[in-house]
Amino acid sequence: MQTKNIRNFSIIAHIDHGKSTIADRLIEYTGTLSKREMEAQVLDQMDLERERGITIKAQAVRLDYVGKDGEMYQINLIDTPGHVDFTYEVSRSLAACEGALLVVDAAQGIEAQTLANVYLALENDLEIIPVINKIDLPSAEPEKVKQEIEDVIGLDTSDAVLASAKVGIGIKEILDAIVAKVPAPSGSTTAPLSALIFDSHFDAYKGVIAYVRVMDGAIKPGMKLKMIATNKEFEVTEVGCFRPALTNIQELGTGQVGFVAGSIKNVKDVRVGDTITDATRPVAKALPGYRGINPMVYCGLYPVDSSDYDNLKDALEKLQLNDASLLFEPETSIALGFGYRCGFLGLLHMDVIQERLEREYNLSLITTAPSVIYHVYKTNGELIKIDNPSHLPPVTEIERIDEPYVRATVIVPNDYVGAVMELSQEKRGEFKDMKYLDVNRVMVTYHVPLSEIIYDYFDRLKSSTRGYASLDYEITDYQTSKLVKLDILLNGDAVDALSVIVHKDKAAHRGRQLAEKLKGIIPQQMFEIPIQAAVGNKVIARETVRAMRKDVLAKCYGGDISRKRKLLEKQKEGKKRMKSVGNVEIPQEAFMAILKID
Amino acid sequence: MNLGLYIHIPFCQQKCFYCDFPSYANIENLQEDYTAALRQEIAAQGGLFSAYVVDTIYIGGGTPTVLSVKLLKKIIVEVKQAFVISPEVEWTLEVNPGTVDEEKLTMLFQNGVNRLSFGAQSFNDCLLKKIGRIHDRRQSIETINLAEKVGFQNMSLDLMYGLPKQTMDDLKESIAQAAKLPVKHISIYGLKVEPGTVFAKLQEKNQLSLPSEEVDEAMYELVMSSLPQYGYQRYEISNFARSSFESKHNLKYWQDQPYLGLGASAHSYLDAKRFSNVANVKEYMQRISAGVSPRQQCEKLDAKMLMEEFCFLALRTKNGIDIEKFEAKFSSNFFSIYGHIIDSLKIKKLIEQDGKCIYLTALGMKYGNQVFCEFLLD
Repeated sequence: MQTKNIRNFSIIAHIDHGKSTIADRLIEYTGTLSKREMEAQVLDQMDLERERGITIKAQAVRLDYVGKDGEMYQINLIDTPGHVDFTYEVSRSLAACEGALLVVDAAQGIEAQTLANVYLALENDLEIIPVINKIDLPSAEPEKVKQEIEDVIGLDTSDAVLASAKVGIGIKEILDAIVAKVPAPSGSTTAPLSALIFDSHFDAYKGVIAYVRVMDGAIKPGMKLKMIATNKEFEVTEVGCFRPALTNIQELGTGQVGFVAGSIKNVKDVRVGDTITDATRPVAKALPGYRGINPMVYCGLYPVDSSDYDNLKDALEKLQLNDASLLFEPETSIALGFGYRCGFLGLLHMDVIQERLEREYNLSLITTAPSVIYHVYKTNGELIKIDNPSHLPPVTEIERIDEPYVRATVIVPNDYVGAVMELSQEKRGEFKDMKYLDVNRVMVTYHVPLSEIIYDYFDRLKSSTRGYASLDYEITDYQTSKLVKLDILLNGDAVDALSVIVHKDKAAHRGRQLAEKLKGIIPQQMFEIPIQAAVGNKVIARETVRAMRKDVLAKCYGGDISRKRKLLEKQKEGKKRMKSVGNVEIPQEAFMAILKID
Repeated sequence: MNLGLYIHIPFCQQKCFYCDFPSYANIENLQEDYTAALRQEIAAQGGLFSAYVVDTIYIGGGTPTVLSVKLLKKIIVEVKQAFVISPEVEWTLEVNPGTVDEEKLTMLFQNGVNRLSFGAQSFNDCLLKKIGRIHDRRQSIETINLAEKVGFQNMSLDLMYGLPKQTMDDLKESIAQAAKLPVKHISIYGLKVEPGTVFAKLQEKNQLSLPSEEVDEAMYELVMSSLPQYGYQRYEISNFARSSFESKHNLKYWQDQPYLGLGASAHSYLDAKRFSNVANVKEYMQRISAGVSPRQQCEKLDAKMLMEEFCFLALRTKNGIDIEKFEAKFSSNFFSIYGHIIDSLKIKKLIEQDGKCIYLTALGMKYGNQVFCEFLLD
């Protein structure tokens, strides 16, 4: 395949705007998979992705298409996640492409997260093809949406493709537009090999499989390759492409997208963003990597059963193979024992990782309340960065605490602007800007502490705008705030894993809510359990879990022991989900309680 | 080898509001055929168990005494013909006051039944009505006195606490009244609202006013303190008896002894297996008449389950776990398996050890489930 007949593109879209359906239709239309092999959302391989209707992992597929000119084109689609948390995945995918489809729902218009990704694509000099999807809907207003794209992003939409992936309108037009507009890769077939690793996964038989975009040169089995950043060498055993299953081919040529395997055992040797080159004829310089990953949200993950500690470590390492944005390091809690402090891109990311650990690795976990990174300036002039509230030094040693702020962009119908402003104000936000996208839709910008965003801002935003608002945010700076540590004492003992850092003015309210909430979560035990919320030595709220009066199955009729046994097994199961802290048994969900109060 | 027999009579004149046992009202028309089917099962099983000596028999229900003198006698005679019965047998039959007369009691006594268990539940007529019982206080007293006159020496009585609208005084009075009667054994149960019962439905509609947790606990304490004062010693979580009148059959359930259940829904424990007959009365009858085994849900207990059950069942009794017996049965060291659990339960003051026995403390009895589930191994 000549380089001029190769096209590499990705799709940018907001959740529910139809990205996966378009991908499905393209695969179907080009005959890459037969009707029989098709399954809705074929690129979303994880059960979780299908259930939630979201894309978490980047995926890739090669399509063969005969263009209008009668020539055969090789089109590589690199699928990307749409959620704000997964911007990192998006940037990786975009770096491997020359073009992108911007898919916008004809009835909904542009959403905040789409904007962020389009800007990212523009930064990468990608050719952007606007696609107005769902034009079959009665409420579709393609002209209005086109205007919006022109006004907000400044893209020419005169050639925008009008499509409905659901009913199959515009699929051929999308393919023709890709052939016509997306530039062919510009690499040299004779230059030394350089290929960008944009993803990887671990296969139990083949070792680490690197997903690459070849920039210059070609990769063939038998070649000796070198990874520039890690300086590791390996021999290629297999190369191939995605159809979408991994399919071996003879050679991965210039401009092509595919995979390389070479019995690489340690995933750490394959770093996403690194450059692969020919060990015998290396390039001097690595390709520009990706935008760095900066986890913004941290929480503790602890096995309910402490003997699962090593399994948790294994599981985290395995997940990290396919998710470079996941960070973790060991930590110890007085209450919860040995676990890991994990860094995530956002709450959805955290949720997804937690669910995958429990589902795919069968672990029972306790998650502590998420925290941002605080900059604590001590009176001795030292600066310490804290991602775990229990590590906050004593008040007397603190001069001031700075916390991360974000620029939060909300796009919302104008009827709800008042609600958004009220909420943002309550969340200590500072109004920055307001812009009408059209007569009905407004883009509001606030400067808000990240801790408020990860607390419940998004949930409340959704509920106060009846689901119409979309949110994007990026960290801008650190600012000093009046912050205090709120401790929770159970039966008189502070439980470190329940501590949170909150704004001073909100401490009393949050303390009361949290104590009340915990009262509902902690089951009755054989003794009374006082729950106290305290700032420093001052108790600001108190609740009590009353003692269980008695617990015995009296009647056992006619020797039916099996039934008794089942009841006891159920009780034992319940106990297993609890963590003994001192002599109090605390259910898993208690540690996340701080998040679920309103 | 000794064997206990449990025989189930699934008929009731009226279903009590708290009852979720397999017993049914309004199927009187089946009594005759059920008796025939039951006799067939008794005869067949008797042949298979000829190597065993039956030393306890318990005919329960339902209400066995709703059957006519004729039918009851047929069952009893069938048992005596089919099984080898120890001369020392403890033979119990459940009686609901108001469903027996002198003739029925005399027949039972003459045919070998030597222990009666009365479902009195309470001596407060108002409460009895509220829980769906068909008898009243007067009938309970008269029936028990009549049974004594007929010749029964070993009689037991069931009481309940934690009933809707029940007060401490009601309970105190019922216990005092029970102790005045010639009963040697008292079983006492706290009400538990089971799914599918009339009470469960009322509770859903918020129409069931149960005593508060505090009152319920006070009632429990009252039971525990007053029955011994009347001379009934606690020998199992919910059973009290005058000296040497402990129920041998009841103890079999807790002491790892074999028992065979006959009749619809009856449960058995034999050769490390637990199994039961089908609960549906008609299905039971159909299977018997078709020559198909009425058994279902056979569960073979592995070594782990046997150990677990050995422990949590034995703990229900006053003497608790006999460590030597455990070690002899399983050829393993008790403490190497349960040592850490025993230690933590001792610290919590839920169990105590006396030589080779480990038993629940008074506190442990109260929180029995918390202790029992610790004995389930991972």
